Amino acid sequence: MKSFCNYIKSIVLGIWNLLLGMKITMLNFLRPKITEQYPENRGKQVMFERFRGSLTMVHNDKNEHGCTACGICQMNCPNGTIKIVSSMIEDAETGKKKKVLDKYLYDIGTCIFCDMCVSSCPQQAIAWSTEFEHAVFNRSKLVKQLNNEGSTLKVKEKSAPKTEVA
Amino acid sequence: MFDFSVVTTWIDELLRVTLGLNNFWTLFIEFILIGVVLLAVYAIIALILIYVERKICAFFQCRIGPNRVGKWGLIQPIADMIKILLKEIITLKNNDKFLFYLAPFFVIVGSILTFAALPFGLGLHAVDFNVGIVYILAVSSLGIIGILLAGWSSNNKYTLIGAMRSGSQLVSYELSAALSLMTIVVMAGSMQISTIVEEQSDMWFIFKGNIPAIVAFVIYMIAGHAETNRGPFDLPEAESELTAGYHTEYSGISFGLFYVAEYLNLFITSAIAATVFLGGWMPLHIPGLDGFNAVMDYIPSVIWFFGKAAFCVFLQMWVRWTFPRLRIDQLLKFEWKILMPIALVNLLVMAVCVVVF
Amino acid sequence: MDIKNKILAIAPESVVENEELLTISVSAKDFRAVVEWIKSKEGGSFDYLQDLIGVDNGESLGVIYRLFSTQTNTALVLKTATIDRENPEIMTVSDLWESANLYEREVYDFFGIKFINHPDMRRLFLRHDWVGYPLRKDYDMSSNPLSMKNQTPEMMETTETLTLDSEGNVKGSQFQIFGEKEYVVNIGPQHPATHGVLHLRVSLDGETVKKIDPNFGYIHRGIEKMSESYTYPQILHLADRLDYLSGTMNRHAVCLCVEKALGLEVPQRAQYIRTIFDELTRIASHLLGWGCMCMDMGSITAFIYGMRDREKIMDIFEENGGGRLMCNYSVIGGLSKDVTPSFVSKVKEFIPYMRKMLKEYHILFTGNPIARGRMKDIGFLSKEDAISYGVTGPSGRASGWMNDVRVLEPYAAYDKVKFDVVMREEGGTYERYIVRLDEIEQSLRIIEQLIDNLPDDGFITKPKAIIKLPEGEWFQRVENARGDFGVYISSKGDKSPYRIKFRSPCMTLVSALNPTVCGEKIADLIMIGASLDYVIPCIDR
Repeated sequence: MKSFCNYIKSIVLGIWNLLLGMKITMLNFLRPKITEQYPENRGKQVMFERFRGSLTMVHNDKNEHGCTACGICQMNCPNGTIKIVSSMIEDAETGKKKKVLDKYLYDIGTCIFCDMCVSSCPQQAIAWSTEFEHAVFNRSKLVKQLNNEGSTLKVKEKSAPKTEVA
Repeated sequence: MFDFSVVTTWIDELLRVTLGLNNFWTLFIEFILIGVVLLAVYAIIALILIYVERKICAFFQCRIGPNRVGKWGLIQPIADMIKILLKEIITLKNNDKFLFYLAPFFVIVGSILTFAALPFGLGLHAVDFNVGIVYILAVSSLGIIGILLAGWSSNNKYTLIGAMRSGSQLVSYELSAALSLMTIVVMAGSMQISTIVEEQSDMWFIFKGNIPAIVAFVIYMIAGHAETNRGPFDLPEAESELTAGYHTEYSGISFGLFYVAEYLNLFITSAIAATVFLGGWMPLHIPGLDGFNAVMDYIPSVIWFFGKAAFCVFLQMWVRWTFPRLRIDQLLKFEWKILMPIALVNLLVMAVCVVVF
Repeated sequence: MDIKNKILAIAPESVVENEELLTISVSAKDFRAVVEWIKSKEGGSFDYLQDLIGVDNGESLGVIYRLFSTQTNTALVLKTATIDRENPEIMTVSDLWESANLYEREVYDFFGIKFINHPDMRRLFLRHDWVGYPLRKDYDMSSNPLSMKNQTPEMMETTETLTLDSEGNVKGSQFQIFGEKEYVVNIGPQHPATHGVLHLRVSLDGETVKKIDPNFGYIHRGIEKMSESYTYPQILHLADRLDYLSGTMNRHAVCLCVEKALGLEVPQRAQYIRTIFDELTRIASHLLGWGCMCMDMGSITAFIYGMRDREKIMDIFEENGGGRLMCNYSVIGGLSKDVTPSFVSKVKEFIPYMRKMLKEYHILFTGNPIARGRMKDIGFLSKEDAISYGVTGPSGRASGWMNDVRVLEPYAAYDKVKFDVVMREEGGTYERYIVRLDEIEQSLRIIEQLIDNLPDDGFITKPKAIIKLPEGEWFQRVENARGDFGVYISSKGDKSPYRIKFRSPCMTLVSALNPTVCGEKIADLIMIGASLDYVIPCIDR
C-alpha cells in the first residue's frame, strides 16, 4: 500500500513539476524577444568603443598620418598580417636619409585581432575601427592599404595630437 | 450552422442528374475529387504547421523566428517547400534501393489515410466507417513500417538504432492511445466517428465524462505525442545522439515526405483528440442555456474543428519546446509502468460509470 | 625532507634541482622504482599526476612529471630522461595514474619517446603516417608536406604495446583496438553533440556502450610548437584560443607564470579586475555548459536561455576588452586598459538578473522529472577514479575531490574573498550538473565582494618593452571553468620560451569517459560527455 501511495505521489509530483517548467516557458513566450534585427538596425546599432573591428590608420584633415614606418607593429604581429612597404628618401633641408611609408598593407584575412600592433605603436598611428562588416567576394580584397593615397607624415614640430586610444 | 452536405449533394446531383453519368463514373469522379481536395488540404496544413511551429518555438525561446520571406516570414514555408523540391536526392551506394525509396511513401500514405477519416465539419467527412476509431488506429500505425524500412534500408548504424527505437516506441504507445480512445468509445457507445461527434451535441465528452475522460484525454495527448516522434519522445531521431535517426540518409523530397508526415501526424493526433474529447466540429453547448448555444451555433463548424485542433497543437508544441528527451528505457518504463496501467484502470472506471449512472 | 632523502636512497644517482618546489631528476634506470614508491602510502601517496611534460633537452629527451598528493597537497616534480634519441624508451606510469595514458601518448606523438608497458602506444593528435616528431628541436619542418590522402583503416585500427622481457629486451606486439564483430559507431568528428571536433568510436551492445576510443587532433594547431618561436606577449593570444570558453583564465595563467618569472608586482586593481573577469568567464562558460547539456538531452529551449544570459556577460567583455570570446584583456603586468566607467554598474545589474534566471533554470530543468530521471543514478565516477584520471574542476568536485586551485594555491584576489567550494560526494551526472549551477551562484558571490572595493592603484605595471625571461622553469596553475589549467614555461633566457606546455583539463575529462559511460546507454554517452563539459580546442592544442 505504501509503495502504491508513493507511486501515486511520484506521478502527481512529477506532473506538478512538469507544469512548473511549462509555466517558465510560457513566461518567456510572453516576454519581449531578444533577437537583433540585423540589417534593419544597421544605422542604430552602435558597437562598443573598444570593439576591435578592423585596423585603420589615423589621418587628420590635411591627409597626414603618424606612421614613421618603424616596423614595430609588423614585428609584433604574430601572424604576419601587417606588411610595411617603405623607401628611403633624402630630406631636402637636412640632407639626412629618412624612412618614408609607401604602403601599409593589412590582411584582415589573417588578423586575429590581438591588439599587439595598436598597443605597441609608439606614434599611435594606427587604431581600431568598430566596423564589423568585412565580407568581400574575393580573398585578395581582404588585403587593405591603410594609408590614404597621397598622404604624408605629420610634421614633427607640433606635439602630435593624442589620438584616441580605442 | 452551415451543413457542408449541401455542397456534396449538389456535386453528386450535378454528376448524376445533370450530366447523367452512371453510378460507377459518378463515384469515380467523386473519389478523385475528394482525393485531390484531401491532398491539397494536407499540403496546406503542413505548410501552415511548419510556419506555426517555427514561430511558436521561436517565441518560447525568446526569439522572433522566421521574418525574412514575406511579411512576418509568412512565405517562409513555401520557400522551404520549393527548396526541398529542388534539392538533389542523393543516392547511396550500398543500400536496398527499392525499400529505401518505398519507405517515405509508407509513412505518408499512413498519415493521409488517417487524415481522410477526420471530420472537418458538419457534412465534411470523407471516410466514416462504423468502426472508424479502429480504422484510424490501424492506418496510423502503417507509418511504423515506413520508419523501420527507412532505418533498415539506409544501411547506416544511426538509422538502424533510430528505427529500432522507433519500432519499440510506437508499438508501445499505440496501446495507451487505443485504450484511452476506447474509454470514450465506452461512453459514446459507438466506434463511428460521426456518432461520437453527434453524441457530444449536448456537452463535450471531456466535460461529460468527468475525471475518467480528463485522464483519458491526458493519456491520449501523451501517447499521441509519442507516436508523432516529437520531443520529449523524439528518440528515433534524437539529433544529439543519432544525428537524425531513421531519416539521416534521406535528402530532397524523400526527406520532405518524412518531414511533412511528422507535422501532419502532429495535426492528426490533435485533431483526433479534438474530435473524440472536445466534440470535433460540434460547438460548445451547455444544456439549459439556449441563447448561448444559439450564439455558439453561428460559428461555422470548420472553425470549431480547426480551433480545437489548433489548441491541441499548441499544447503539444508547448510540451515539445519545454521538456528534455527521455531515454529509451525510461520511455518504455513510462509507458508500461505508468501510462498503460492508468489507461486500463481508467477504462474500467469509465465502464463502471457508464453502467452505474 | 624525508621524501627527498628516501628518493635519493632508492636512486642514488638522482639530482635535486630545486628545493623550494621539490624537483628531482631521476635516471631512467631507477625511475620506475621511484614512481612506484612515491605513489605508495609511505611514499607520501602522490596520487594526482597533474601533468606529464615531454622535453627535448638537446642531447637527451626527457619527461617531467608534476605530481600532487591530494591529502597533504604537497607538490613534487619528477624528471627523467633518456640519452638514446634514436630509440628513446622510458617505463610507463599509466598503470599507476590513469591520466598518464593519454599524456604518454601525447609525449610519444611529439617526442617519439616510447613508454614500455603502455597498453596503447599510438599517436594521439597527429596522423598515423606522420614523419618525425614535431616538438623535437631537430625536427625538419619540410618532412610532412600537405597530404590529402585518407588514413587507411589499418592505421586507425591497430595499436602497439611494448613489453620488457626478463632479459631486458623490448618487444613490441600489435593488436586490434576493436574486435571483428563489435558494432562500432562513429560519433564525430562531425556530429551535432560532440562539442567540437572530437571523434569517438564507440563499441555498442544494443544501445549499451561497451568501449570508447577517443580520437583527437582534428583541430590541432601546434600551439606549443608555435609558441617556441613567439614572444611572450604573442603567446598570450594563443592561450586565449585553447579553451575558448575560459580564454580569460587561460590568459591569466600565462600572465601569472610570466609575471612570476619576471618577479613583476601586479597592481591590486588589476588583480581584482582579473578576478572579476575570471568569474564572469566562469559563469559564461557554465551557462554554455548547462545549455549544451540541456540541448544534448533534447531541451533546445534551455540552451537558448543559457545563451541569452551569457550574452550579457559577452557584452561586458566586449565593452571592456574589445572582444567577446577572445577578450584579450590581461596582459603581462596587469590589464591592457582600465575598465570603462560603466563596468561597475553593468556588473551590478547583472548579478541580480543572473540570480533570478538561475531560479528559472532550476524550475525549468533541475526540477523537471524527465531531466532528473535521466541524470540521476548514471555515469558515476568515484573519488579515487577522479583523482587517478585527473578529473579536476566541477566534474572532480562532484566526485568529492576538493581540487579548487583558487583555494589550494590562491592567486589574484582569491585569498581576499569568501566563497564556498561547491562539492558533492556521489560523483554522478546529476551532481556534476548541479555543481555547475551552484558554482554560478558562488561566482556571483565573489564578484559581489570585489566589485565595490576596486582599489585605485593603476591597472598595469609596465614590464620592459622586450620581455626576456631568465633561465629557469616555472609552473603555474589556475582554476579555469573546466578544472586545473597548468602552464609550464622553460626558458633559456630568450624572448621566446624553450618549451611551453599547457595542461589541458579537458583531455583528462575525455579520458574519464571510459569509466563513466561504459555500461550506460548511448543516449547517456552524449549527456555524460556534456556533464563532463570538455572543450576540444583545449585538448587539440
